[in-house]
Amino acid sequence: MVKILIALTICIPWLGALIVWWVGDKHEKLQHILAVVFSVLSGAASVWLLFNAGKDAVVFFSLGDYFGEASFVPNGLGVFLSVIAACIGSLAVIFSTNYMKGEESLGRYYAYVLFFIGSMVGLVLTSNILLMFVFWEFTALCSYALIAFHNDDPKAVAGGVKALIITSIGGVGLLLGGILIFVTTGSYDIDKFLAGAGQIPAGILAVLAFGFLIAAAAKSAQFPFQTWLPDAMEAPSPISALIHAATMVNAGVYLLARFFPAFEGVPYWREAVMAVGMVSALLAAIMALTASDLKRVLAYSTVSQLGYMVYAIGAGNVYASQFHLLSHSVFKALLFLAAGAVIHNIGTRDMRQMGGVGKQMPFVKWVFIIGALALAGIPILNGFWSKELVLEAGLKGGPVWMYAVMVAVAGLTALYTIRCVYLVFYGEPRSEYHAHPTGAAMKIALAPLAFGAITTWLLAGRFSLLLGESTLPFHKIEPFGLREMFHEVLSIPTLIALAVIALGVVLWLIRDRLEGVTRALEWLRKASVNSFGFEAVNRGIVKATQATGEGLRATQTGLLSWNVLAILVTIILLFAIYALGA
Amino acid sequence: MSHNFPYILLILLPMVAAPLVYLIGRATLRKGEIWGMTFARLFTVVVLILAGIALYFTTQSAVSGGSINIQVGSVFLMFDGMGLLVDAVVIALALFVAIFSTKYMEDEDGEEKFYALLLICVGSIIGLAGSFDLFNLWVWFEVMAVSTYFLVAFYHDETASLEAGMKYLVQSTLGSTMVLFGIALIYSQTGSVAMADVYRSLANPLPLVGLGGLLMMVGFGVKAAFVPLHTWLPDAHSQAPSGISAMLSGVVIEAGLVAMLRMISILGHANIPWGLILLAFGCLNIFLGNLMALRQTQVKRLLAYSSLAHVGYMLLGFGFSMTFKIMEGAQGAFFHMMTHAMMKGLAFLAAGALLYALFLSRGEHSALTLDDLNGASRKYPITAFAFSAAVLGLGGLPPMAGFMSKWQILLAGAGTQNTVMIIIVIFAALNSVLSLGYYAPMVNRIYRREPSDAVTQGKPITWQMALPMVLMVLIIVLMGVYPKAVEFLTSNAAYSLMAIFAG
Repeated sequence: MVKILIALTICIPWLGALIVWWVGDKHEKLQHILAVVFSVLSGAASVWLLFNAGKDAVVFFSLGDYFGEASFVPNGLGVFLSVIAACIGSLAVIFSTNYMKGEESLGRYYAYVLFFIGSMVGLVLTSNILLMFVFWEFTALCSYALIAFHNDDPKAVAGGVKALIITSIGGVGLLLGGILIFVTTGSYDIDKFLAGAGQIPAGILAVLAFGFLIAAAAKSAQFPFQTWLPDAMEAPSPISALIHAATMVNAGVYLLARFFPAFEGVPYWREAVMAVGMVSALLAAIMALTASDLKRVLAYSTVSQLGYMVYAIGAGNVYASQFHLLSHSVFKALLFLAAGAVIHNIGTRDMRQMGGVGKQMPFVKWVFIIGALALAGIPILNGFWSKELVLEAGLKGGPVWMYAVMVAVAGLTALYTIRCVYLVFYGEPRSEYHAHPTGAAMKIALAPLAFGAITTWLLAGRFSLLLGESTLPFHKIEPFGLREMFHEVLSIPTLIALAVIALGVVLWLIRDRLEGVTRALEWLRKASVNSFGFEAVNRGIVKATQATGEGLRATQTGLLSWNVLAILVTIILLFAIYALGA
Repeated sequence: MSHNFPYILLILLPMVAAPLVYLIGRATLRKGEIWGMTFARLFTVVVLILAGIALYFTTQSAVSGGSINIQVGSVFLMFDGMGLLVDAVVIALALFVAIFSTKYMEDEDGEEKFYALLLICVGSIIGLAGSFDLFNLWVWFEVMAVSTYFLVAFYHDETASLEAGMKYLVQSTLGSTMVLFGIALIYSQTGSVAMADVYRSLANPLPLVGLGGLLMMVGFGVKAAFVPLHTWLPDAHSQAPSGISAMLSGVVIEAGLVAMLRMISILGHANIPWGLILLAFGCLNIFLGNLMALRQTQVKRLLAYSSLAHVGYMLLGFGFSMTFKIMEGAQGAFFHMMTHAMMKGLAFLAAGALLYALFLSRGEHSALTLDDLNGASRKYPITAFAFSAAVLGLGGLPPMAGFMSKWQILLAGAGTQNTVMIIIVIFAALNSVLSLGYYAPMVNRIYRREPSDAVTQGKPITWQMALPMVLMVLIIVLMGVYPKAVEFLTSNAAYSLMAIFAG
């Protein structure tokens, strides 16, 4: 039963990808329908799988002596993330039927979206580290293809290739880790590794732990690899929702959470994880405050919120991080899809040209505001509960100064969120635009997400059982009901955090009176618009590599005498080395 | 049917068929008839299929009846795991190339020579893979080289082809001379050229034997495109007809490598750190190949440079194995030899199909530039898909086979648990990412909407070209998803190499 369900959840979208592609771009309607059917079916299969979670792996077939087995395990973490991938993915697909209407190359679009969903499900369910890497690269491939979907636009292509290269560089950490796990334990099985992590030499375990941290940071767009995610905004908006909420960036957080029991004892690892999360959260929040592109604001907020999840893992509370992941997936998908509706209907992403959109798109305005409140951590939306849990975890498991920074970031979050809502939906229109009515499919996709943003926190108890001993044997997560959550959240630190959040809101309301402060902080704004120099570093590396390639062309002289000289010099060198050695 | 019969057939078939193809094609062309050429094309394909069948039965009788060898006078040939792998790859790739070329080379001036030379090239590689005697190894190697000189300079009215052919000829001959000199040195010390005898008489290392080995290494290294001996390769691979580019990159440079491995395997006692030398060349090849490819503007030239990098990965695999006396590295390297032959072969064929449709079929001899790729998917969906699968596979993305073979090589490196080797593994993996920097933008170009001028004016691509491409995509994905399918080939090849080396 479990075996069939796992196969279905992965293979339904893949099969759908092939079929939609096969149907061809001449049958646009059929493509929309097929994509929706296959994604919804895989969502249903994933939900069914949720009720069949367990800790035993199922094996499909052997891949050969050096590649292990095609084995999958429906543990709590995996089924949870596959539900996120498949269900939110299917909402993005439903949204796309309006958003991508009349676009060319729809076959390629839907094929990659469905392939993406299936790959993400595979990534979180497999218990073979080699396969995990394979799926990891699949998601990199899909994100690259979808970000660069508009291949004629050089910015889109550059964004896609950047995503591919940066996440693949991080992937080297996972690759090395996977190989070392096989070399030291003789198996690719993740659970076997977690069970026997104590016997692995400390040096190798440290390489693994930090290698995986690099991989996770690259995939989840954390410091210092955060630069690819904002450029990925060239993708169509449903793809942004898919990448930010359902697939891709969750993989990095998943990786850290999955391997946490093995690495928590590695010296300085937890501190490093917390630092990565904190720096990412802080930098990205400042950048979100100064960005003028609606999608970029949301992209930076993703980096920032992922920082909270990474921070929580570093603080030792996997439950809080995954609970925040749940909230974030729901409200971020909501925000991106709503932003997509705005962009689709008025034709620009620049917030400086928006203003007053709310009057013409009331439905979108209200769902966006729900998402924004959740993002800002306003009670009683889901983002409030999970963010407070993360902060509590940080206070218990890490230094106080880091906690203080994270609380301040929560205030910044409120500030940039309200700024974004105000610039887009309120005030007077700052350019000539004409909003089209919001499509029915868009509303169908937005409504359940808005509902979710208000209610998913009620699942806290069920969620802790899902991540409990019987379905996630190595993490030792205690049952944690609503009552415990109330007890935990309704405390002094929360009041402080809420006060800071309120301060953020107030700062926006009295912004006119703070012009002096704004002017004093002009240097900070400039630095953040320039992404604190990270883009310059990226560009420098690319330029240096290309210059080396260009310079090396001089070695290909095209002159036969030089070519022959190279051969003779090689043999003389080898002789010389031989003579010295012998 | 005798025990050795299929193997004799395997050796003879291409060599006997080659002159027949030439004579029949030539005779009828003179009379102005065309049936002879049609027959020659079909006959080439049939001969390659028959060779494949012969190889199958050879393997069967080797598995059931033990060692297969032929001795004619002093010529000694034996069939082992390494031979099996090389034969299988060369026959499969040549078959795809032959089918592809029935359209690509149709009515070219000298078409009959093309097929004859192709068959000779195949036959000589099969012979080379079975040689257990240094002098015969050299003779087969030269036959292969001579057949490819003509193929590189096939378009003999084009100055660029002639220049490429000339450079290839001079550098390769220099290499061959070194090999011959090396063999002479070894013969002078051991009194024999049979590999088994040389191996036995080398229990105590002799200095001149070491020198001979190094000479042979550099000599074969020219053909196997070791950096910095590679300078002939970018010209030769980009100027040859595309089918031949596929053969050159897919099997011919690897044949040089195989010849070198045979040589190294008998000189294991020669007090030379062969493994470390291979590792050093491997790193050089990967690094320079990738960086040079990064700034190329011609598709075939770019692919030629990427071949340097891929030879580098194979060298790493063999280097790991020889330095640490382990099997995995060699097995991964042989696996990469197979996957690279298919992926690079496919990339060259797909590039060739575009070159043919955009330029050659309109009588233009122009290089396919990156700009010409723009929007090719609109008109040539199959070719575009095949090309994308090939280059992304070369860049090491799953589910294409290149990922699995690279993984196995890196696995071997990390398995040594030696810090330097692990650094090499990281270096190789990062270079693989770097290679995506030139592979991926090509795919983006292909899937643009706005087609280039060349694509708008392009002619259609026929089924003779599409069929091999589709089959190769399937093989690449199959080997990537289910690597066990070829484990039999790679493990036996690694065993035959390492058994002699370590034993």
